[in-house]
Amino acid sequence: MNKNNNIIQENKISYIVSVYNIEDKVESLYDSSKKVLDRISNTYEMIFVDDGSNDKTYKHLQTISKNDKNVKIIRMRSSFGEACALDAGLKYSVGGRIIFYSGRVKININDIGKLLKRHSSGFDLVVGWRSPRDDSLLNRMVSFLFNKLVGVFSGCKMHDINSGIFVSNRYVFDNISYYGNLYNFIPVLSLQQGYNISEEKVEQVSGSFRSSRNPKEYLRRVLDIVTVFFLTKYSKKPIHFLGFLGTIFIVLGMMIELYLFFYRIFLFGPIAGRPLLILGALLLVIGIQMISIGLIGEMIIFTHAGDIKEYNIEEVIE
Amino acid sequence: MERKKENRKKSLSVVIPLYNENANVIPLFEALKKVLLSMQRESEIIFVDDGSKDGSRDILKKIAQKENIVKVVLLRKNFGQSAALDAGFRISSGEIVITMDGDLQNDPEDIPMIVEKIEEGYDVVSGWRKDRKDKLLFRRIPSIIANKLICSITNIKLHDTGCALKGYKKEVIDGIRLYGELHRFLPALTKVEGATITEVVVRHHPRKFGRSKYNLTRTFRVLMDMVSLHFFIKHLRSPLGFFGKIGILITLVGLIGGVWCVFQIIGKNMSIINLNVPLTVVFLFLVAGFQFIFLGLIASLIVKTGERSGFTLSPFVLNINEEKDE
Repeated sequence: MNKNNNIIQENKISYIVSVYNIEDKVESLYDSSKKVLDRISNTYEMIFVDDGSNDKTYKHLQTISKNDKNVKIIRMRSSFGEACALDAGLKYSVGGRIIFYSGRVKININDIGKLLKRHSSGFDLVVGWRSPRDDSLLNRMVSFLFNKLVGVFSGCKMHDINSGIFVSNRYVFDNISYYGNLYNFIPVLSLQQGYNISEEKVEQVSGSFRSSRNPKEYLRRVLDIVTVFFLTKYSKKPIHFLGFLGTIFIVLGMMIELYLFFYRIFLFGPIAGRPLLILGALLLVIGIQMISIGLIGEMIIFTHAGDIKEYNIEEVIE
Repeated sequence: MERKKENRKKSLSVVIPLYNENANVIPLFEALKKVLLSMQRESEIIFVDDGSKDGSRDILKKIAQKENIVKVVLLRKNFGQSAALDAGFRISSGEIVITMDGDLQNDPEDIPMIVEKIEEGYDVVSGWRKDRKDKLLFRRIPSIIANKLICSITNIKLHDTGCALKGYKKEVIDGIRLYGELHRFLPALTKVEGATITEVVVRHHPRKFGRSKYNLTRTFRVLMDMVSLHFFIKHLRSPLGFFGKIGILITLVGLIGGVWCVFQIIGKNMSIINLNVPLTVVFLFLVAGFQFIFLGLIASLIVKTGERSGFTLSPFVLNINEEKDE
């Protein structure tokens, strides 16, 4: 997935920020970022991805980039979300090391230094961990549960999997696809490819760049949990999972129907009015359906196996 | 099968997936090297390290730097044997590809025999560990049962599909992508493509170093894999035929039942309440039948899109160049 025709400069740091409607804060974000980057690196670029803002954010960015040759701006036609912002940022940057900051939450920009340091100590991806978390109790609980769940199902035990800031090597993104819902699971995907990942605490500053969460975001969390399933090993062998479930359903359904059958034959009791009859029938149908759908899933993977990136080669020595 | 002696011997790749085999790597390499040298043909050894953590990687790196015939592929972590074999296959360049285990239980001395069989014209040659040196209860009996099942489902006749020592013509494995745990069924997969398969008796040694990495707990998953493989072999060319047939049959039964119910109600003036049970069954059959037909439609769509993205169902073309030479 090499989307970049530019020559990559391994030592350069590409700092990619996705911004959306922050006209009054973009200036200070730029200033503080520049201060940190000047201190920690002598070769860097800043890439602001304006995710379709409809206020003066873009204008401010234009002024900034005019005065600083290290700044590039990318303007999206409309709001496409952070995954696309990251993608565009990667495409138009040349650094071998990527700092991605979603600009969704406010953190202490100075902590980027900490993240970079940890990254240099031998990791491919270092995720920020907002601690202490400045958020409502509900949000904190949801986040805690979510991260635990992801940890249990995928083996990627992190405290703050989508904190919105991470440092990584560019090559990490050559082998993972992070579109749509999967964007929130970049650490999980990286871990599955065998990259070394870690996390580092970053300070969360109160206040947010974006307006408060709307209820839709909680709904998206629920969908994310469904996505977690697709990150497990079962996604490559759907029949292992659906076949197992289907077998259980069929066995249950058979047992119910057999019970009713013998009840009718030997005890002459009426079974017509019993909901159990319908339940048993339903279980049988669902069970068979599950196995069939598992088979279809296997078919999809079998016929499209050419696109599967199941393993990741670290090195070939000849 | 008689064939003219070719001037040039076919080149050879030996693919060996390894996982935590630090004590076995060097003896294995030495034995292999001896055999390959004696065979006097262009050859390479490909070690695929599947994320070992016991220092095998460093040993392999050293060997690769010293020896010309060795290629080493290091996977980033343990991805499983299918992935390791696949990585090895992708990188191999020989016209004949041999696979074997890295635990010294297979004997490299058997390689010439396998190569000979392939040059006789077979596409796949599987080893048969006639005299197995493993524990009876935990290794051999499950293996015998699994082998019987695999053979009856996939309709290939081998005594020992689980033997890692096998030989393939390059063009047979080129079309196959291994993922999940498909490596168990590789001979069967080649059969989907129309390959000719045979077996030869090979030696088998007890394990000297390290521990076996197999266990008994995978029975269900392997069974499920067999079900889907059976389905692939029989019906991948026309999935609508498979699902559609079942669907139409079930729907028909449902319809007949429905007609019977209607007849009872109208003809015999029976009340619907009394037909509760038959009606439930009728609805059940109708729903299930329609579902199957639609699944069949989706399945054939999938195969179509698969073909568009490069997947082929046509048997590979055998030995075109050779035929021309003669």
